[in-house]
Order: sequence, then structure tokens, then C-alpha cells
Amino acid sequence: MSLNQVWEAASASPYAPLISKDSQFSVGFTLLLSAFILTGLFGLNRSFLSIASFGVPASLAFGFGAVYMICAVGVYV
Amino acid sequence: MKPFTAFAAVCSFFLSTSTVVCAESSFKPPQTFKNANLVRNTNLEKGYVRETVNIVVENVDKEPQSTYYLSFPSDVFDKVGGLEVRDRKAPENGPFAVDVVSAESTSDVHYVAVDLPQPLAPKSQITLGISYYLLNSLTPRPAAINQADKQYLAYSFSAYLHSAYPTVTQKTRLKLPSTNVPDYTTTNGLKSGADPERQGTTYTYGPYDTAEVAPGTTYPITLRYEFTKPVITASLLERDLEVSHWGGNLATEERYWLRNNGSNLVNQFSRVEWTLTNFQQLPSSAIRELKYPLKPGAVDPYFIDDIGNVSTSRYRPGRSPKREGSLELKPRFPVFGGWNYSFRIGWNDNLSNFLRRVAGADTYVLKVPFLEGPKVPEGVQYEKVVVRVVLPEGARNVRYETIHGASNNGLPPVDQIQSHVSPHKTFMDTLGRTALTLTAENLSDEARDAQLVITYEYSFWDGMRKPITITAGLLTVFAAAWAIGNIDVSIKKR
Repeated sequence: MSLNQVWEAASASPYAPLISKDSQFSVGFTLLLSAFILTGLFGLNRSFLSIASFGVPASLAFGFGAVYMICAVGVYV
Repeated sequence: MKPFTAFAAVCSFFLSTSTVVCAESSFKPPQTFKNANLVRNTNLEKGYVRETVNIVVENVDKEPQSTYYLSFPSDVFDKVGGLEVRDRKAPENGPFAVDVVSAESTSDVHYVAVDLPQPLAPKSQITLGISYYLLNSLTPRPAAINQADKQYLAYSFSAYLHSAYPTVTQKTRLKLPSTNVPDYTTTNGLKSGADPERQGTTYTYGPYDTAEVAPGTTYPITLRYEFTKPVITASLLERDLEVSHWGGNLATEERYWLRNNGSNLVNQFSRVEWTLTNFQQLPSSAIRELKYPLKPGAVDPYFIDDIGNVSTSRYRPGRSPKREGSLELKPRFPVFGGWNYSFRIGWNDNLSNFLRRVAGADTYVLKVPFLEGPKVPEGVQYEKVVVRVVLPEGARNVRYETIHGASNNGLPPVDQIQSHVSPHKTFMDTLGRTALTLTAENLSDEARDAQLVITYEYSFWDGMRKPITITAGLLTVFAAAWAIGNIDVSIKKR
């Protein structure tokens, strides 16, 4: 099977990103803002429990928010 | 004996790694064919030479034969690009496999072996359609002109096409860009009647009865014709295509090193004369503007050179799904003969038009143009093109192919395109992205429609590498803040 036939066979499934280009900025900004707030909350009480309740969500929000924000400003990673 | 052993070792290395067939310089193709009829069409309407040769080939051997050899003089061979051989009567069956017979560099003739799909029975015929273009074969004469003068190019060739086999009859038809042809060779004694025959902008040399003429005989012919357009040559084009799954984007950047191969200027450049020429819309040998069609949906174009942004450009966006966009680039200065101009342009596209996912697998298939480039009536020749497709980080099992349609796609056979896969590190990368680099030489703007298909494997967790890495980084900071905060550094009695 040539690669062009693979291309034709996959015509029903064009690639669609999870977040479209238009909403990258809003998603990225929201996630980064929540990461900032959660980091502040963690800073108020640096206990092991707040790592689980604030630190982990803040890290996840920052991880995904950073990826979407860098895409939104035109550096498509 | 020793040099021969070394040569044999080199031959065996090449045989094991690629399709290049090695032969000694004394290689002579077996005389198993004859060319019953040969018609060469040479198109000189662009800044490079486009040749289509149709040959009725007959097997004169007693055995069926499956390998036909094309021959090129060595000075011509280095300029040949986009060589393709098809069955003239069934072009839709695709091109035949061609292997370059690599002789020693000192050899004055190079052979290319054409593998016929079915062996040709004795006394039977096949019509081969051979098409290729010749780069850097047109010489400006005079070599230096005034700024507003007409430009003339000279093209030299042999009335007898170089062939490994005897040819019964042959003729050459040349299509010129204008009727202004101040000089052309008139042959003597090759045929009865006037030679060449003129009809509008078409000049026909022949038909000649060459059954008794030994293969390899030459009869030099030169034409000099008006071509008051730039001879646009890209000595190097680097083209990057960057696939971003997170951003849903295909980013393209092209870096050009352009040169005008036309006549040089006798005197210094005159801005006044240039303004007059422009005002009167007169033809000029300088590169004034490049029109660059972009795919529908292309956004964010930029045009910069060594100094910075070039503001003399205009972008007319196309509408999805059909209308093409047009990027009109005016170089910072008119590029006259012998002048150079290097610049870079880039734009973004929606990835969904170029990437598909194979159902039920972590495999993606990407279809992108191999070459885009400006679309100008005078044509563009590319001496070297480096296409780099940057796939997402973690992409594996990269395979690629170029697509051949019913006509010549302008690309060399896929085994003559050098390729390698290497990591490419840029923003937010840990391992580096997978970059497939393809290098091809001697291309022209006829390869604009050539498509490149790439498949690669890329799993969900490969995609998660970037956000997880950043997440882990910040989590480490939190854990460190907690751990350091817990250290008791107070001064007290324990």
C-alpha cells in the first residue's frame, strides 16, 4: 500500500486539535491565571496537604497553560 | 592493480547502499536498440531549457531487451534536472525506473539506464517520452547591457541528439519566447531545402536522415533570441515545514538565495532611468516583483531580509476552501543581471488540511507540497533545495514518498533525493523533534505541484511530554518549598 493510498484511506479523519486556534489564548490565559492563584494559595500554607490540594492543580494548570499560551503567541510547539 | 581494487570496492559499496550502478569509464551500452524516429521539443520560453524527447525505439537484438540507455555529454549531465521517462502511449502508467550509470568523473559521456517494465521483444517498438530540464544552459549575449536595453540569450546545442544508439531520422523543434531572433545557425548539407524552417516563434531543425551518422556525432547550432526578463536562479532554497499538534498549525518558512543570471549592467545603476522604466511599464531584465500564490487559508505571512522587515509586500488572502492567496513580494532593490538577493518568507496554515490520522492506530499521514515558490512567467530554476519537515517531538517510524501523476512532477526519482532523519531542538523540547531533511538538486518551478506524503507514529503520551515536563518542574518547586520550609533552623536547646 503506497503512502498516498494511506492518505486517501484516512480521508474521513482529518486531524483536529483539542483546542482550536481561536481559543488558544483564552484557554492558556485562564489556565495560567488559575495556576497563579493556586500558587498563591499554596504560599499561604506550605503544608504537604496543600501540595496535594493546590500544588498539583497549579502545576497541571501551568503545564498545559504554558503550552497553549506559547501557541497563542505564535510559537507553535 | 591496486587502483582497480579500490574502484571495485567503491562500486560494491554503492551497489549495496543505493541504486547507482557503477561502471568503468570504458562502459559502452550494448547495441541492442535503434532509434527509428526521434523528435526533440525544446522550450526556451522560460529562464531554463525544457526538453521533451519522443523516441520510437526498436529492439534490433535477437533476445528480448529491458534496459535502454540514455546518454548525456558530461557538461550537459550536471545540468539535467527532473529527468523522467514514460511510455508515450500510456503515460498514466507512471515513470520508468532510471538508474544513473556512474562512470569516472573524467569520462566525457554519462549514461542513464532506463528499466522497461516489460522486456521489449525482438523487432518490436516502444515510444519513449523523455522529459527533463537543463539549468544554467542559457548565456546572455551580449554579456553586459545598458539598464533599459533589451536582453538576448544564446542557446547552443547539437543538431544530432546525443544517443547511445543509431538514429534513423531525427528533428528538433524549438519554441522561442519571441520572434526577435537576431542570430541563428543555418545548417549546410544536412538536409535538402531550408534548415531551419521558421513558423512564428517555432524553429524546426531537420528532419535529418541520420542512419549512417555514428552515435555521438555533434553538429553545433546556436540561437540568440530576445529575452527581456530576468533569469531567476535560486542557488539555494531552504524550506522548513513545522508540524504542531498542540497548536493545530503547519508553519512554513522559506529562505531564498536568489541570483539573476541575465546580462550584467555596463554602467552604474541609475535610479532615474529605473523610475522611468517602471513608470512606462517597460519590460526589464531585472527582478521587479515576485508573485507567490499561497494555499487557501494561509495566514500571518512575513517577508524579511538581512536588514529586517521588507515593507514593499502585499498579501491578498485567499478564501477557504478554493481561492488561493497571493503574496506579492517586491525586493528591496531591482535585481539586475549578476546581482544577488537573499530573503526569507513564512506563513501559517491550519494543520487539518494537511494531516490525517489513520483509523485505529497512532499513525498520522501528512501531505504537503514539496516545493512552492514564486509563480512567474519567466520561470525559476533551483540549483539546490533542502526541504526539512519538522515533526512533533517523539514521532517515530518516519516514511515518505513523492507522488507521480499523469505527467512529469518535476522531481528527480525518489532514490535520488537524499534524506536523513535527525533531532531538531527548539522551544519547549526535551528530546528534540524529529526532523526529516530531503535534499534535491537541479529543480525548477515545474516541481511546484509535486506533493510529499509522510507517515509517522505518534502516541498520546508522546504528545503529553511537553505539559508533563513543565508540570513536573513546577511541582518540584512546590515540593522543594515545602521541604525547605520544614527544616527547623531556629536557635534553641535540643
